[in-house]
Amino acid sequence: MADKSLQGLRVVEFTDELGSYCGRLLADLGAEVVKVEPPGGGRERHTPPFYHTVAPGPDTSLAFWVHNTSKKSVVLDLESVRGQAQARALALSADVVLEDNPVGYMAAHALGYESLRLERPALVYTSITGFGQTGPHARYAYSDIVGQAMAGVMTLAGEPADPPNMIYGQQANVSASIQAAQATLLAVLHAEATGEGQLVDVSAQEAQSMNQETAMQQWDLQKTNRKRTGEKGALPLPLPGLGVYPTTDGYVMCFVIAPAGAGFPVLVDWMREKGMADDLDDEPYKDVCENLNFGFFTQVASDPVRGAAVIPHLAHVNQLVTAFFASMTATEAYEEGQRRLLLHGIVSTPKDLAENAQLRARNWFAQLEFDYLNAVIEFPGAPYRLSETPVQIGRPPRLGEHTDEVFASLTRAAGGRTK
Amino acid sequence: MTKLPLDGIRVADFSWFGAGPIGAQTLATFGAEVIRIESEAKLDSLRLAGPFALNPDGTPKSSYNVSGYFNNFNAGKLSMQLNLNVERGQEIAYRLIENSDIFLTNFTPRVVDKWNLRYEQLAAINPRLIAAYAPMQGLEGPHRDFLGFGAVLTPVTGISQMSGFRNRPPFGIGTNYPDYVINPGHSCVAILAALRYRNRTGKGQCVELPQVESVVNALGTAVADYLANGTVQTRTGNRNPVASPHGALPCTSDPESVGSTDRWIAIACYDEAQWRALCDVLGATELSGEARFATFAARKANEDELESTLGVLTAAWNAEELMAALQAKDVPAGVVQNAQDMLDRDPHMKARGYYQFLDHPETGLAAYDGPSAVLSVTPGRHRSPAPLLGEHTLDVCQRIIGLDMDEIATLLAEGVLV
Repeated sequence: MADKSLQGLRVVEFTDELGSYCGRLLADLGAEVVKVEPPGGGRERHTPPFYHTVAPGPDTSLAFWVHNTSKKSVVLDLESVRGQAQARALALSADVVLEDNPVGYMAAHALGYESLRLERPALVYTSITGFGQTGPHARYAYSDIVGQAMAGVMTLAGEPADPPNMIYGQQANVSASIQAAQATLLAVLHAEATGEGQLVDVSAQEAQSMNQETAMQQWDLQKTNRKRTGEKGALPLPLPGLGVYPTTDGYVMCFVIAPAGAGFPVLVDWMREKGMADDLDDEPYKDVCENLNFGFFTQVASDPVRGAAVIPHLAHVNQLVTAFFASMTATEAYEEGQRRLLLHGIVSTPKDLAENAQLRARNWFAQLEFDYLNAVIEFPGAPYRLSETPVQIGRPPRLGEHTDEVFASLTRAAGGRTK
Repeated sequence: MTKLPLDGIRVADFSWFGAGPIGAQTLATFGAEVIRIESEAKLDSLRLAGPFALNPDGTPKSSYNVSGYFNNFNAGKLSMQLNLNVERGQEIAYRLIENSDIFLTNFTPRVVDKWNLRYEQLAAINPRLIAAYAPMQGLEGPHRDFLGFGAVLTPVTGISQMSGFRNRPPFGIGTNYPDYVINPGHSCVAILAALRYRNRTGKGQCVELPQVESVVNALGTAVADYLANGTVQTRTGNRNPVASPHGALPCTSDPESVGSTDRWIAIACYDEAQWRALCDVLGATELSGEARFATFAARKANEDELESTLGVLTAAWNAEELMAALQAKDVPAGVVQNAQDMLDRDPHMKARGYYQFLDHPETGLAAYDGPSAVLSVTPGRHRSPAPLLGEHTLDVCQRIIGLDMDEIATLLAEGVLV
């Protein structure tokens, strides 16, 4: 069997939906990740969608599955004295403790960093919370949408006439988990080199700040806020070859007039081949089509005379472009457009992604065997490929599946030490 | 001073735009020496993209070194100019890579080939090298040479289709979102894991991070639901299957938010206690018991009406005051903040000191995103602001590549170090 990059690293996690993806990243890279769960399981185990062939339950939540592959699960009641003692013994067997509970919860359950480090100084202890361990909002109630709002990300998304938009996929949680995985590995490298552990404090709000793109710098340097601009973007009017176009079965996103890839004339060539260029080869449209790009538009927009000669014709050109894309599938607009070096991106639906020719050709998807469901279920694959230490995605655990196994080996290890 | 986790690690950063440079910046923050390779022959477009620092008269400064977009992703690095379109440039690149621990690029596979930067070529000169490639579609496959950048990645990976309101087309989320945390974060995770493996075995390896694969891995249940159940999910705006109400509601506008005066609060009620507390705070205790909203199922069935009813009430509130009142009752609630809030007004962000302010020779004092986590023993930090283009060419040539001044002069004259 191939070596794993995080082989021999033992992680004990006390996480629900905020931090579970962090544990998943470490587990898929080969760390032994033991998830400690409350009786009945946490919120993520009860979040839809569920696997369709059996009744919904903690062992069939896809929301849980996609953030908890390759882990082991033990169930402990941290509200009981016995459960707390077992959890503490487990935490003290770990190289890394990972948790995403409200500030103060772990310490109140004999699992705080300050008390564990006394017995295990090399321990890396990663806490992921909405707002971090310190500061006036440290104890604020957190959820993913609250995190996206407070981090300046939602204000940039959506139509100005609508409420700001949340990004799909628990992205505040995902950002926090990714930053936490990165920081945890930095602390692990340090601990393995020096024997010195530490506390890693991850705030979901801070973890997302970089997702503001340029908004932070725009405020800092120019003292104005970026705001959401919706479908039109920052442009004063729709430009042909730019933006989202409906197709027969979906949408394609076009950046034909951006300063990369083939230009607008190549799109017109394609339209002509399909007999859909109509009057674009006649003036006044011919001249517009031959020159159309961002730079050209910026020039004419700032020159009233040329503006008057060009801008009124853009709507007609755009109508033809719209009709052209409406005549084909999204996949054709994407793949044939890219073949012609046009900067096109398919607006992928989940089905498009499952059928994506590139992902399929690369054998990206993972096949996971769910013995208890009598099924092999396909999963999205790993974010990266490591040539010497391939990522291996294992089936997510059933609730409490490894409780006996984990405690039996813990007892054996304790016995071994006392001999 | 405490050792940082990556002290003594050298990174040859052949990346550009967002996803690559941010990952390398993280490595620099935690101790690595990162040498960013740049060339005027193929300039990183972010050096030419705003927002720019302003002159005293309010006009934007004009230089390769004043973009806030570029600078925020490149703090703490050295900048070396090297023209890889000439053979001598590739030789110098090899000498740098020979003396590096990590190589990172997000150039397209076509460019990697053209500049002879493929893994087997680099491993031949430095078998301990960790070489990380982050092209959009991957190094192989039928779409390998597809064009793209963050704005294309967002639709291709499903984020556009799955985000926003149903009655709107899937136009995206206002930024090139995957570039800033998902891709660079995943890159760092893989590189650090490879570094741990190298510490144990002495072996380097090739890390491939196709940006599409990185993002789809982090896309929640959308693709998994289709694969497992044949269900094609679509966007559902600000809603959540296990919370209601769940969304952004209007508050009184804020004339002091420059350029973005509308004000919203995000609220999420996951249980009945939170729902009742919300109604109490809004002074509408009776609402929580009305049949149309009294249970989770009823609120889900009448969610449009729920949101418009609540919106009328929240619209009378100042967003910060409502947040404080709701948080006092443990209701998850947060102002939809803007960058002005993040930098200047959020007392919590201020108290934690997340942003780092660095004095840059051309922009003056400017804010940078700080380390993405607080490590108690080895806190990362930017040791310097973003480098000027080519600021360290001479230093790197002499100190790391071992060239003397005559050789350097020749390379300058031949257009290699440009």
